[in-house]
Amino acid sequence: MLKYFVKRLIMMIPMIVFISFLVFVALDLTPGDPLTAQFSPESISGLTHEQLDALREEAGLNDSLVVRYLRWFGGVLKGDFGYSIQTGTPIGSIIANLLPATIYLALAALVLSVLMGLLFGILSAIKHNTIIDYLSSLFGVIGISMPEFFIGILAILIFAIQLKWFPAQGRTEIGATFWVNLKYILLPALSLGLALTAALTRYTRNSMLDVMNKNYVKTARAKGLSEWKVFYRHVFRNALMPISVLICLRLPMLIGGSVVIEQVFGYAGIGSRLLTAINSNDYQLVLSIIFLLSIVSLLSSVLIDLITGLLDPRVRYN
Amino acid sequence: MSENKDILLSIRNLKTHFHVRKRVIRAVDGVSLDVRAGKTLGLVGESGCGKSITAHTILRLLPKTARIKDGEIIFHSRKRQPVDLLKLQPSGKEMRGIRGNDISMIFQDPMSSLNPVYRIGDQIVESILEHENTTRAEAMERALEMLKRLSIPSAEKRIREYPHQFSGGMKQRVMIAMGLICNPELLIADEPTTALDVTIQAQILELMQELQRQLGFTIILITHNMGIVADVADDVAVMYMGKIMEFGSKEDVFLRPSHPYTRALLKSVPVLGNSGRDLLEPIRGSTPDPSDLPEGCSFAPRCDFAKPECGQAIPYVDVGNGHLVRCVLAEGREVRDGQ
Repeated sequence: MLKYFVKRLIMMIPMIVFISFLVFVALDLTPGDPLTAQFSPESISGLTHEQLDALREEAGLNDSLVVRYLRWFGGVLKGDFGYSIQTGTPIGSIIANLLPATIYLALAALVLSVLMGLLFGILSAIKHNTIIDYLSSLFGVIGISMPEFFIGILAILIFAIQLKWFPAQGRTEIGATFWVNLKYILLPALSLGLALTAALTRYTRNSMLDVMNKNYVKTARAKGLSEWKVFYRHVFRNALMPISVLICLRLPMLIGGSVVIEQVFGYAGIGSRLLTAINSNDYQLVLSIIFLLSIVSLLSSVLIDLITGLLDPRVRYN
Repeated sequence: MSENKDILLSIRNLKTHFHVRKRVIRAVDGVSLDVRAGKTLGLVGESGCGKSITAHTILRLLPKTARIKDGEIIFHSRKRQPVDLLKLQPSGKEMRGIRGNDISMIFQDPMSSLNPVYRIGDQIVESILEHENTTRAEAMERALEMLKRLSIPSAEKRIREYPHQFSGGMKQRVMIAMGLICNPELLIADEPTTALDVTIQAQILELMQELQRQLGFTIILITHNMGIVADVADDVAVMYMGKIMEFGSKEDVFLRPSHPYTRALLKSVPVLGNSGRDLLEPIRGSTPDPSDLPEGCSFAPRCDFAKPECGQAIPYVDVGNGHLVRCVLAEGREVRDGQ
């Protein structure tokens, strides 16, 4: 089993190279270059072609695509992500500053949506075809079909501006007390996790109902087990396998969603930084961030295999 | 069916109906049976005749759409006062104390009846730990002993394996081990061999009979296979559309079948050892809609001997030795319904 996972991890490397190269090419194809984004049109039009060229040469922008890509990738291998073209700060330090905040947000969203999704899903499975079930279906449809940014704006309007329960913008720094932390993280995390919560609610419900009709659940009842034991030992334990796959599959979407949610909530994280980097054609920074996010996505697909193997004895990797 | 000390379970006028989209399906409609202690009762009938629902009603394992309309199921246990199982709460403590402990059940499809995520040892032990005050290690020891009794090769190793590592026949052995682990008085086997191939069928049935001789439990064997009943049953109940048509000892029912349905059934299935002198005769027509059963005898529309009287309520007639027949043609002492 260990061998299988080492192999999976090694197979990630060419995929990461491929993804980062694709992003590199895509960025190169967009109109403009880092210089045009950095300076105002007026100051650029004041420069001569030679001066512009010298600036480009200085930033290494005149080299061919492959050379620039290899230069960047070589640096990454040495742990050097290079510098932001726009601000000149080392990308390593930008990431170190902002990534933890994004991971914190994504984890908060994950924990909240797993707890809520499982709870609603289990409730509607137990009470299926009752008003509780219908309400949670309605919630599921709304949650799945509404985009995150809209949910976020709605949440700010209602809970921050109208009711004034939560701050509308910003995040806490490390060291803030639990309650202050909770106040700041709750709205963005709930908005980010809503789609996952809704999907999990539906999925948990269906998965539970599916397992409840299995013959081995009848066997468990025939042993004289209490309904509660039948439920958690036999029904929930088996329903958990497809549910955990869904959670892992959705992990990259949480990170991706944070790009939008961070922007909406003025939350200083790697996601909102990615947006400004894209707008200013700061390709080094964009690449580095995409690079990290693609590693997260690939790791979560390995995680699916790992969890499936742990939960389901029929799945063994040889 | 008189009151008798040898009776372990007596079912009287059991009616289990299903309510499906405003239609009422009378799956079990007035079943009366006596199950003799230590013997094997074969409950035979076509699929859909209500034999499985009867078994599930005994253990109170019915789906939510089912309603028990009438009747009683008295369980004369050695360990406790006689109790009417229909008076207990289906998932209450008392019923759960009986389920898997005094009465256990094995199902048709061993492939899907074991939980795929637990080791089979753990699944067997679960029953013991639920009903008795023992340690896990002791329970495991007993489970191992039971697996050996069921001739599962290298049981020490296999007890730690998962269901998917077992073949169908081996899985059914595990199910039987699970059913017998708490030393029940009654084992209900619902088509235990239907999903298995024929050679394995014989092995499983033999094993069940051997264990019955050793441990002395009673079996209700539900099957649609006349050959199996002829092989292993002591008493036979023939069921059709929710009612028992004929009930008696195996010899009486097979050698002196008195209900036209039983006779038609025996003619329509091959019995092992029949050298092919007689051609098989199918029963004409098809089973009536269970939500719209005819009055009186529900077999009358397909019966070659039907008379106008068949449309009225038909009592059981004892044609001798407790051999009961629900037919207007039968001659003998009339008994009140099921008494």
